[in-house]
Amino acid sequence: MTESGAQLFARLEARRCLKDIEPRLFPEDGGPNHGEVVELYGAEGTGKTEMLYHLLCRCVLPVASGGLEVDVVFVDTDYSLDMLRLVSILDNRLNSARSPSAGSDEAVLRSCLSRLLVVHCSSSAQLLLTLHFLETTLSSRPGLALLLIDSISAFYWLDRSEGGASFSRQEERLSKCAELLGRLLRDYRITVFATCHAIRRRSHSGPPSSSESDRPFLCRPWQRLVTHRLVCSSRQEAPNNNNNNMAAAAGSSEEPRTRQVFTVHATAAASSSTTSSSTATSSSPRTKTYRSSSFYVTDGGVEFI
Amino acid sequence: MLEYSMVHMASVIVPLEDLVSSDIEEVAQRCSVSYKALFAIRRVLLAQHTAFPVSGADLYEELLSSTAILSTGNPSLDKLLDSGVYTGEITELSGGPGSGKSQVCFAVAAHISFHLKQSVIFIDTTGGFCAGRLLQMLQTETSNTQEQMEALQRIHVSRLFDVYALLDCLYGLRGGGLQQTSVGGGSVKAVIVDSVSAVISPLLGGKQNEGMSLMIQVAGVLKTMAKDFNIAALVTNHVTRSASGEVQPGLGVSWSHIPRTRILLERVEKSAVFSPSGLRSATLIKSSRQPCPIKEELNLQWWSRSQEASSSGKRKLDETDS
Repeated sequence: MTESGAQLFARLEARRCLKDIEPRLFPEDGGPNHGEVVELYGAEGTGKTEMLYHLLCRCVLPVASGGLEVDVVFVDTDYSLDMLRLVSILDNRLNSARSPSAGSDEAVLRSCLSRLLVVHCSSSAQLLLTLHFLETTLSSRPGLALLLIDSISAFYWLDRSEGGASFSRQEERLSKCAELLGRLLRDYRITVFATCHAIRRRSHSGPPSSSESDRPFLCRPWQRLVTHRLVCSSRQEAPNNNNNNMAAAAGSSEEPRTRQVFTVHATAAASSSTTSSSTATSSSPRTKTYRSSSFYVTDGGVEFI
Repeated sequence: MLEYSMVHMASVIVPLEDLVSSDIEEVAQRCSVSYKALFAIRRVLLAQHTAFPVSGADLYEELLSSTAILSTGNPSLDKLLDSGVYTGEITELSGGPGSGKSQVCFAVAAHISFHLKQSVIFIDTTGGFCAGRLLQMLQTETSNTQEQMEALQRIHVSRLFDVYALLDCLYGLRGGGLQQTSVGGGSVKAVIVDSVSAVISPLLGGKQNEGMSLMIQVAGVLKTMAKDFNIAALVTNHVTRSASGEVQPGLGVSWSHIPRTRILLERVEKSAVFSPSGLRSATLIKSSRQPCPIKEELNLQWWSRSQEASSSGKRKLDETDS
């Protein structure tokens, strides 16, 4: 297929590596490299979308406020993007890092938001077509380094029912999306973060780290694409003694509320070979590294503990 | 024109995504259409059928100007919902039998219709809709029968009892029914479905996937309707008990991701005295704007309280209590 010189240049020029996007989430030096896919898996209310907002803000904010100044595409398949919440997090972070010589808040906020592109998809066929269309966007914006998909499992039941009795037909569309995504990752070297909603309830009687309910259920081409898996969960935490004393001293009549603590277990498949060529890594054994992190969700977004 | 000529020559009809994913050179050879023409066709088809990316700044501007917060009329419920029901998203009210979900739906419909002067679409799937109760609520707001009638006329009720009828109704609304309903009265600002679990839960379970797929379709059309037409979608759900014994909303894990805000209504258990009939406890279990969970006491009779501050008003409340 022929491409113009500008397209070739846009394709080959290195996009920003996002290994340092959030070092507190990933194991040592295990952040997502070029062309890697991170899957955030969890039940409802475990902070997946909040974490996406956190990563989004980290990418679009100016360097002076602690950001990376890269363009981001957000593919919204279940209409869960709350722009008002996103803007309040951005505002919060801009205000906390604001220097007096910086431009007005409005202008900086606008410039941050203009680095974000949002696409709404309502079916897996539309998702496939949109990914094809995104190729032109990728070639015209060399600053685009991150693709966020919320969520990749939104059409799971629709596809399963449309596919009838054969599993391969059920998984056909998502497989095509995964293959296309794989090609985009190889050609354009972007990084992808995708959320996946749990479909099985986690049993409370089993050990907390049981993998029964956390097993991946999407099609194999997608599972082969995923290099990092973040399993999210949450629990209620009783306030510790310090908070109690402070509340009593302040004379407040409010009883201390339990806080919700979100936990992320990260599994990264790190290749043991140092020479990274795509053929070499497939033969060398991939070792897995793990990391656990916890955070609260405040008005200013995610706050790690 | 080009698409027709290509299909005519190839004598085969392929799904759009196959055409778009296939190698253009290969198709050009097989269909004897020029590569350039195929490339142009592909570009036009993609432009017509894909979702168009919007810049974050434009999306934010649009949301600021179009999102509205509809107060429910009850201060404690408004506090839980962060000042009211937001347009553009689905809010879910779950609760057991007698927990007051339908009462809250009637009250919200009456409030939006009377105070905000906007139209409401009420979809009743349980047969529990009672126009007399709505009229009673409106009569406490005003004694002017003309205003009461106008407010009642702005609430459009549909009675459906299975999921296919519900999907038909929703698709019809999205396809043009909303604009038609807006002619005359105020524009439609809320769609209330009481209850969505009554038509979906009989289809869940078992080996068939169709129930889950229908549930996701209902969710999808409600969400796109809410987003595209800037209306607030309010749905009610039943409750079940989890493995550890606590009460949770029904319809399972896959539904739990759908609503943006979820409230659980429960009867207040008072040990000795039989609790006043109007008190319920409302817990916010999911919200993108406030930390969960938050519990508030909700007085269902707030909406029926008399507007007059005189002592005769107070006596009316006492009468309904006993």
